[in-house]
Amino acid sequence: MKLVFGEGSCGIAAGARKVRAAVEKLNAEGAVEVGITGCIGMCYLEPIVDVYDGGTLVKRLVKVQEKDAERIYKAAASGDLSGVKDLEISADDKEFLEKQTRIALRHCGLIDPEDIAAYEAVDGYKAIRKVLTMTPEDVIAEIKVSGLAGRGGAGFPTWFKWNAARNAKGDQKYLICNADEGDPGAFMDRAVIESDPHSLIEGMLIAAYAIGATKAFVYVRAEYPLAIVRLEKALAAAKKAGLLGENILGSGFSCDIRIKAGAGAFVCGEETALIESLEGNRGMPRLKPPFPAEKGYTQAPSNINNVETFANVAWIILNGGAAFAAMGTETSKGTKVFALTGKIKRGGLVEIPMGLTLRDVIFGIGGGIRDGGTFKAVQMGGPSGGCIPEHLLDTLIDYKALGATGAIMGSGGMVVMDSHTCMVNMARFFLDFTAKESCGKCVHCRIGTKRMHEILTRITEGKGREGDVELLQELCNGIKAGALCGLGQTAPNPVLTTIRYFRDEYDAHIREARCPAHECAALKKFEIDPAKCKGCTMCAKKCPVGAISGEPKKPHAIDQSKCIKCGQCVATCKFGAVEVK
Amino acid sequence: MCANCEKSDLSLLTPVFEAFAGDDHALISILQKAQDIYGYLPTDVLYAIADKTGNSPAKVMGVATFYTQFRLKPVGKNLILLCKGTACHVNGADSIEKALVEELGVGDGETTDDGLFSVKTVACLGCCSLSPVMMINEDTYGSLTPAKAKDIVRKIREASK
Amino acid sequence: MDTELIDLIIDDVPVRVPAGTTIFEAAKTAGIEIPNLCYLKELGPYGACGVCVVEVENCPKMLRACSAKVAPGMVVHTKSEKALATRKLALELLMGDHDGDCQGPCKLNCPAHTDCQKYVKEIAEGRFADAVATIKETFPLPAAIGRVCPHPCEKACRRNLVEEPISIAQLKYFAADQVRKDGNEHPIKVAAPTGKKVGIVGGGPAGLTAAFKLAQRGHAVTVYDQMPEMGGMLRYGIPEYRLPKAILKAETDAIAALGVTFVNDFKIGRDADFAKFRSWFDAVVVANGAWKSTAMRVKGEELQGVWGGIDFLRAVVTGEKPDIGERVAIVGGGNTAMDACRTAVRVGAKEVFVVYRRTRKEMPAEDIEITEAEEEGVKFKFLYAPDEILGKDGKVCGMRLQVMELGEPDERGRRKPVPVAGKFEEIALDSVIAAIGQRNDPEGFADLPQTQKGTIAADEGNFSTALPGVFACGDTVNKGAGIAIGAIAQANEAALAVDAYLRGGEYKPVKPILSERELSEKDFADRPRIARAKMPQRPPEERRNDFKEVNLGLSPEVAQAEAKRCLECGCHDFEDCKLIRYANLLQADVKRLRGDYHPGFVEQKLVTIERNQRKCVLCNLCVRVCAEQAKQGLLGLVGRGFKTVIKPEFQNPGATAVCKDCHLCADNCPTGALKVIG
Repeated sequence: MKLVFGEGSCGIAAGARKVRAAVEKLNAEGAVEVGITGCIGMCYLEPIVDVYDGGTLVKRLVKVQEKDAERIYKAAASGDLSGVKDLEISADDKEFLEKQTRIALRHCGLIDPEDIAAYEAVDGYKAIRKVLTMTPEDVIAEIKVSGLAGRGGAGFPTWFKWNAARNAKGDQKYLICNADEGDPGAFMDRAVIESDPHSLIEGMLIAAYAIGATKAFVYVRAEYPLAIVRLEKALAAAKKAGLLGENILGSGFSCDIRIKAGAGAFVCGEETALIESLEGNRGMPRLKPPFPAEKGYTQAPSNINNVETFANVAWIILNGGAAFAAMGTETSKGTKVFALTGKIKRGGLVEIPMGLTLRDVIFGIGGGIRDGGTFKAVQMGGPSGGCIPEHLLDTLIDYKALGATGAIMGSGGMVVMDSHTCMVNMARFFLDFTAKESCGKCVHCRIGTKRMHEILTRITEGKGREGDVELLQELCNGIKAGALCGLGQTAPNPVLTTIRYFRDEYDAHIREARCPAHECAALKKFEIDPAKCKGCTMCAKKCPVGAISGEPKKPHAIDQSKCIKCGQCVATCKFGAVEVK
Repeated sequence: MCANCEKSDLSLLTPVFEAFAGDDHALISILQKAQDIYGYLPTDVLYAIADKTGNSPAKVMGVATFYTQFRLKPVGKNLILLCKGTACHVNGADSIEKALVEELGVGDGETTDDGLFSVKTVACLGCCSLSPVMMINEDTYGSLTPAKAKDIVRKIREASK
Repeated sequence: MDTELIDLIIDDVPVRVPAGTTIFEAAKTAGIEIPNLCYLKELGPYGACGVCVVEVENCPKMLRACSAKVAPGMVVHTKSEKALATRKLALELLMGDHDGDCQGPCKLNCPAHTDCQKYVKEIAEGRFADAVATIKETFPLPAAIGRVCPHPCEKACRRNLVEEPISIAQLKYFAADQVRKDGNEHPIKVAAPTGKKVGIVGGGPAGLTAAFKLAQRGHAVTVYDQMPEMGGMLRYGIPEYRLPKAILKAETDAIAALGVTFVNDFKIGRDADFAKFRSWFDAVVVANGAWKSTAMRVKGEELQGVWGGIDFLRAVVTGEKPDIGERVAIVGGGNTAMDACRTAVRVGAKEVFVVYRRTRKEMPAEDIEITEAEEEGVKFKFLYAPDEILGKDGKVCGMRLQVMELGEPDERGRRKPVPVAGKFEEIALDSVIAAIGQRNDPEGFADLPQTQKGTIAADEGNFSTALPGVFACGDTVNKGAGIAIGAIAQANEAALAVDAYLRGGEYKPVKPILSERELSEKDFADRPRIARAKMPQRPPEERRNDFKEVNLGLSPEVAQAEAKRCLECGCHDFEDCKLIRYANLLQADVKRLRGDYHPGFVEQKLVTIERNQRKCVLCNLCVRVCAEQAKQGLLGLVGRGFKTVIKPEFQNPGATAVCKDCHLCADNCPTGALKVIG
């Protein structure tokens, strides 16, 4: 039997390597085969170990711990899996995968990402072989048929960009993969690179062939060290196999792919800032036009796509654009990967055909809100996106439909929030992010996001003023119109959508100095319910400022003038007597 | 510490310059390698890089201060990267940060007096399902609570005594 | 291809330009200015400021005119509602983050906006004639006003936050005295005659200033005054020991030398009625002041030996030798009360009291005046109010005083005096001088509508009255008596209005939009303390016996050293600053979007350039010209986002020498962030 450990970043963080090391220690004689794979996307169940028998998955063990290593090993060595029954994935959790349709993630968690043969065994590098027999125009035409659109956020038709780069004049053209996955809450690109790097390479080779590029870069964010390591290995293997470099597979087509590690700047997800960064400069966006297709890296025609976009390309070539286009809606074709996180029961990577509803994803696949909470909103599109409320949960996953809510499809971050999340504080959080990540070049973004953050901060501190919401709206519209790049132009979206759907929360903060979600510390009020308080004195002992007093065995009380709202009393009380108001 | 007093062993940069010879666009990569070597980017190293790459010191400094990855000061023995991504935010990253400040007495971008810990908040570590998350050196710690975070730091401190 | 011509419409104007032209350059060919802060043609577009945004029909996004290229049939609106709003927001954001003073607080707090910082600097540099010329850009009486002005400029002086304000007023009259002594005053330029005649009623600070300004603009001006000499209250209300008549005379003579005709001993209503007077001129300025003392409204006010403050002072000046006896009480706490009490000492009174109903702290008189009066032996009776003037045989023999105490603060924060019930005190006196205020005399001006106070009603902006061609300013209008420089400020506006009227137009002043810093002592904690210059004075026991000037004047050395204390708050680049020009153009609210400021510092790392990062708008032009035009690359952006600053990277001491000193950076800075020094 073979034990395959899910070793994406999440799995490793959850302890997969420790478990594997323990198993390998027991397996000195090699009674079982041990392998690794990437991320299956069920992050909430990590670490995950798949048990294979002769190439067939016979059992999936979840949330395995170091202490389970021995019985896992024994079960695999003996072939008797009854000893690990309790670790087996539940039927409910199986649904998480069964309800998905995986194209971009088709190999993730199923093959060894560090083994090119494993990729080739699942039809890997067949698409590039096919493409090398086609004309570039035919390749672009096939992509056009598929309706594939940029998965990084903007949703621009991929074929159009390829075509523009193909038609641009220039001796040297560049292909760039944007793997600077900066949206907090999105990690599908990392998962693809860590789990299936060859599909990215193959997608890029096809694109390079189509546009006539002979040099390519993958711009990976520095925070993804594992992705960089796996991609480096994959590139070396591909090169060795003649799939990369000069005269690929004897076709006369040459293309080299290099990795460039980002250095920590969200704005480098913006095409022109990314190019500046590739050139070794400060990542400050350039004016558009000229677009990169015309003047990109070193002023040469360049095409930039994101990882997930490339990950679909080989599948489309092999299965035909029509098969891809058969999925989805009128305006959005194929599938999309979402990173489902937040207060969700089953969080992880979800790939579904376009056209499902948000409810399908959050409740159908994600299992709804965890810990018995109530759904309040889902944040989509990260700092450029917006918060979608409960009553719009039946919105179709489609570029146009999501755009109409004020949010965006974005790169696929889907952060679920429950009733304990303050929407004003959420907006503040995002503006804190964009203000910190603003490159500082243009006035509207540099100073505008800073001012918005200041206003939102004062609202969450109970110092909001009448008219602040209108001022925010005015700033939002002005920044959208005036900012130089996408970062600034979309930075107001989290504010606009929270005002649009949760105006009452803003008003409660400003007019009543009240945070309805009880999240904003400055507006919290801690009170002890005398009916529940047993007078155990624990809270009084724990209180760092001595704000709680009372005689033993009698109900205690909190002196509001002393209370610093640290919440230690709530955490300490065993009787749930401290209420947050 | 005075910037002019820094005396780094610049010979360590030679292989880096060799590796990127002829690449006019490698400034960021060179800075990354230099930081790997020195742990941070000392001023004399930045000047040496400017000199070798034909960039002005002003440009090198501009790049080095633009990206959050680069440090112009030495960091503590243990670098704590605290994730402040959206999922972590929703799941209480602020309370973890508060706990770390309480435990270490330093905040974002600061180093403890004993040089054991530096704290840095980061936008997203990409381990959203384990939120709230922090990374100390190479290890990731997930599903944190304020108490758990303090405990982890204490254990590392004990171990390094 | 490049020679192809493109037709487009910009602001309804058809424009034809070669393909590849930007909207910005295309608009320029049609004479349409699109504001911008970060564009320089030679460097190409950069796109940071967002001030050049324009709207193009059928284009959902705003375009930056500096970079967007023209296209056939394009319809561009550079002033559409959305373009203006977006542009205005950029300016409001910039101004809210712009920690700089357009003008010094001294200049702003001077009612006439005299350019104090400029003449103080000229004095510091020993350019005294230039300093006088600077002052005379605002008014013609520097020696006189320097001596009498309660100097609101000094109250606003930022040096107050360090230790003491610059002696702006004393410096002013130092310069005037010095230039008069040296005989090197720059000639005043007078425009070619316009053939228009202006009659001015009143030869005080307001009338003389209006005359000076209108004469410079080529009008034929005649000033009429009821008194035998020109100068108004400066001559008849200010005692000789503060402002010698000869010095005032020299300055009024200089006005006459510009061609202004002076007619004295002439009073409207007595020598000509106002309607007739008007008919002699194309325009008239009424600036006849406030020459009536305010009554105390207490019993016994009609007694012999009761004087009005200004009446008493005038009598002394005209040589009437008023008989005030040995024991004199002056009622009031203002500067006129101080002038009256010190004059009383000088005309021989043995005991002089000042009766004031509040305490010294609340006295409106200048502190130095009070001190000097005390030195000269004046006694102060605080917290007393006159209740009744006591008489014997129709003459003053004493005064009963009501004892007061301070009650609740009024709306201005001054604690109100309230009588202590039943507590009175009596003092024996020979005379009482009521220096509690003064008002205008509307007699002879019945044609002019009045305010409820009985003053002449004039427009607060251009000082026109209800009668066409008649303007009125100074103590005689609206709120009534104030300080001389306030009357001068009004006269300046009135002069502009008269000039515009005579040229067939109308003058409407606009309040300029300015950037002002808000600072506290903290901001100056590291400034070295330098004591304010001390004015040498004659000793009290000597000066109390005569009317010779008390102050001996500053020496040139002391004056220059004093002037060098100036912090130079106002921006050197105010006249050329694009930022403030656009802020005014678009009526930007400069304070609305204030918040934290970006990191600010002032440094002199470049050879002759001082860099004030507080005023930087990050247009990046300095960085770009240094790298691309000067080929030096000394400057760079440091940091990211809101905290970005521009710095030269000079860790290496002595590296400053690499700056070529070409000044291209400073020349291209759209604000006053870069200043050429040395």
